[in-house]
Amino acid sequence: MGEEKKNKVIVPSTIKNKEKRAEVHANLKHQKKLEKRKRAKARDAAEKQALELGEELPPRKIPRTIENTREVDETVCKPDDEELFAGNDADEFSSIIKRDILPKILITTCRFNSTIGPAFISELLSVIPNAHYYKRGTNDLKKIVEYANAKDFTSLMVVHTSRRKLDGLLIIGLPEGPTAHFKISNVVLRKEIKNHGNPTGHQPELVLTNFTTRLGLRVGRLIQSLFPQDPNFRGRRVVTFHNQRDFIFFRHHRYIFESKENKKEADSKKKSKGTKGEKVPQQKVIARLQECGPRFTMKLISLQHGTFDSKGGEYEWVHKPEMDTSRRRFFL
Amino acid sequence: MPRTTTLDCPGCPPLRALTFDVLGLVKVIEARGKEGEIPKVVERWGEPDFSKSVLAASLVDRKFDPLLAVARKNGLIEVLNPLNGNLHIAISDNTDTSPPPKDEAIVGMHLFSKEELEVESRRCTLLSCTTKGNASMRSIGFSSSLSKDASTDLVKTWKVCGSGDVTCTKVDGSETHALFGGKGVEVNMWNLEQCTKIWTAKAPKKNNLGIFTPTWFTSATFLSKDDHRKFAAGTNSHQVRLYDISAQKRPVISFDFRETPIKSLAEDVDGNTIFVGNASGDLASFDIRNGKLLGCFLGKCSGSIRSIARHPELPVIASCGLDSYVRFWDIKTRQLLSAVFLKQHLTGVVFDSHFVEEDVTQTAVESIQQETEAAQTVSEEEHMPRKRKKSSKEGGEGGKRKGNKTTDKESKKSRRKSHGETERKQKKMV
Repeated sequence: MGEEKKNKVIVPSTIKNKEKRAEVHANLKHQKKLEKRKRAKARDAAEKQALELGEELPPRKIPRTIENTREVDETVCKPDDEELFAGNDADEFSSIIKRDILPKILITTCRFNSTIGPAFISELLSVIPNAHYYKRGTNDLKKIVEYANAKDFTSLMVVHTSRRKLDGLLIIGLPEGPTAHFKISNVVLRKEIKNHGNPTGHQPELVLTNFTTRLGLRVGRLIQSLFPQDPNFRGRRVVTFHNQRDFIFFRHHRYIFESKENKKEADSKKKSKGTKGEKVPQQKVIARLQECGPRFTMKLISLQHGTFDSKGGEYEWVHKPEMDTSRRRFFL
Repeated sequence: MPRTTTLDCPGCPPLRALTFDVLGLVKVIEARGKEGEIPKVVERWGEPDFSKSVLAASLVDRKFDPLLAVARKNGLIEVLNPLNGNLHIAISDNTDTSPPPKDEAIVGMHLFSKEELEVESRRCTLLSCTTKGNASMRSIGFSSSLSKDASTDLVKTWKVCGSGDVTCTKVDGSETHALFGGKGVEVNMWNLEQCTKIWTAKAPKKNNLGIFTPTWFTSATFLSKDDHRKFAAGTNSHQVRLYDISAQKRPVISFDFRETPIKSLAEDVDGNTIFVGNASGDLASFDIRNGKLLGCFLGKCSGSIRSIARHPELPVIASCGLDSYVRFWDIKTRQLLSAVFLKQHLTGVVFDSHFVEEDVTQTAVESIQQETEAAQTVSEEEHMPRKRKKSSKEGGEGGKRKGNKTTDKESKKSRRKSHGETERKQKKMV
C-alpha cells in the first residue's frame, strides 16, 4: 500500500539514488503496461459481446496522427467554389486536361550529369508516354525553353544530379509556365526493385491523392498535364503521385484482377478431390500489384510564375524557413 | 493535445480596401467596428472570366463621388462607382471585338482627381499607357443617369518610348507630371499639361568588373505628394534607386534588396520612407534618405508582391500578390495585422479612406435615429486623430522639410471648419 502511494506521488526523476530511481521507474512502466493491456482486453470483450448480441459495434477510436491534426488551412479547396472552377478553366494546363492538345514532353539533364541522370531518364521515358530525351550539351535552359516552345512541346523536365545522386527535378509548363522545382530523394530504380515488372506501352492511369489546397491543386494539375488524359485500361498500368505531409511519393505499378477460390473451399476441395463434388467453388476477385519502378519522393521547393528565369522570375510560392513554425502545417 | 501555433493577428482598425485579381473580379474587404476587427470580403463584383483579368486600376479617393477605373485584359477600361460597383461607363480602344495583341496591354493607368464640374454630365480624365509606350490622356464624359451614352474625346496621345516595354507608370500628387519606365526604357518624366518630355534618366555606369546591367524598371513611386522632383524606382536587378531630377540624371542613391526583382514600391506619407516588395514575397521598409533598411515585414508571405498600398490616414499598408492573400501590416511595429485569402492571383489593391463616413450614411439610411447619432459621435471621435495626422502631413509637404507649427494650427482650424461644413451637408443629404 505504502509503496503504491509513494509511486503515485514521487516522480522517478527526482530520486537521486540511481538504483532506487531505476526500480521505481520500472515499476511505473510495468503498471502502465498492465493498465493498457487491461483496457485493450475490456475493449475486445465489449466488441465480442456486441457481435454475439448482434448489436452495433462500439466505435473504434481514431488514432491521432499528424495528418488528421493538421493545422486549419483556409486555402483548402472547397467543392462548391465557382471561382475555383473558373480559375481552373483559365489556367495554363486546361487545354491539355480538356484533351485539346496531346502532351509532349521534353526531358533533359543538368549540364554536368553523371550516369545516374540518363539511367533515371530512361525509366521516366517508359513511364511518361510521348516523352523525348534530348542531350543537354552546353545549352542554356532558357534556350532550351525557346527551342521546346518552337517544337510544340507542352512540358519540359530537367533532372538535376549532383555528386552522382539525383537531387532535383524541374517541371516547366510550356509555353507560359509555371515552373515547379522539386527536391528528389529516395530514388530506387527498376533494377533494384525485387520482382519488378516491366511496363507495357499502354497509356497509364494516373492517381493523384491528397492535393487539397490551392497550391496543391496547381501542382497536381501541373503533374496531370504531363500525362495523356485518355488512359488505356487494358494496359492495367497505374502511375501514382501520393501526397503526404507535403512529400509527393511516386509509384508505378501494374495490377491484375485474379479470381481466387476461397481458402476454405480450396481446402475442402483438396479433401474431396477423389469424389469430385458438383458444387461450384466460391470465387473471390482480388487485385494483385506488381511494382515496375522507378520509385522516388519529391518535395516542392518553389513554384515560379512563368517559365524558368532564376534571376528575374516571379515566385508564386517559395519555401522559406520562417514558414516552418509547426509540424502540422502543410502547404499541398 | 497537439501543439499548434496560431498566428496572433491583432486585427485591423476600421478600413475598406478593394482588390483586383486575374479573373477580373473586384473584391471589397472591410473591417468594421472598433480596433481589432478581422477584415472580411463583403462584396464581389463581376463574374469570373479570364479574359477580363485586371491589369491596372486607379481610384479617385474622395468623399463625394469617388471613381474607380479598371483596365482589363481584353482592352476594356471600365469606370465604376467604388461604393456599390455600378458601372458608369466602359470604353474600348479597338472597335472590333477581338482581344488586343499582347504588346498593347495597358500597364499603367491613372484617374485624375481634379475635375471640371458640369451640371448635367460628369467628366473624368484618364491617363493610360500600353506596353509599347502608347500613352493617351482622354477625358470621358458620362451622364449621371444609367444610360450608357458617353462622349469620349481623346485629348492627347503620344509615344513614350521608341523601343522596349513600358512596365511602370506613375503620376505625381499634383497630377502635373507623369513617370514612365520599363524594360529597356530609362525612367522619363513628362509634363502632362504640355505633353513634353522634361527629363530622362541616364543608366548607371558599369561596375568595377566592367559589367553593365541592362535597364529594366519594374516599379516607381514619387516620394511626396507635392514634389514631383524626387522619386524612387525599383529595377529587375533587385536595386532600388532614388532619382532627383533637379540634381542629376544618374541615381542619387541606389541600394540592393535581396536577390529577386523588386516588384512594387510605395511611399509613406512622411516622404522619406518607402516600402519595397519583391518577387519572392519579401516586404521591407527603407529610409530613402540614406538607403538604410528600417525593417522587414515578416509574415510567411510566400508569393511575389504585386502591389502595395498605403492608407492615407491610418498607419496601415496593404500588400497583395501571387500568393492570393491580401495582408494588412502595421507600419510602426511592422506586424501583420491580418491576412485575407482571396483564392486568385491578385494584381492590385487600393484603399478607400472615406470608409467611416459611408458607414454613417448607410446606417442613416436605415433611419435608426439613435444608432446614427452614436455612430456619428464615434466617427467624430475617430476623426480627431486623423485630422491631426493629415495636418502634420500637410505641414510636412508644405514646408518641404518640417512644417512650422503656425501653419499646422491654421491648417487644423481650416480643416475643422471644412469638416463641419461637410457634416452639415451630410445631414442635409440625410
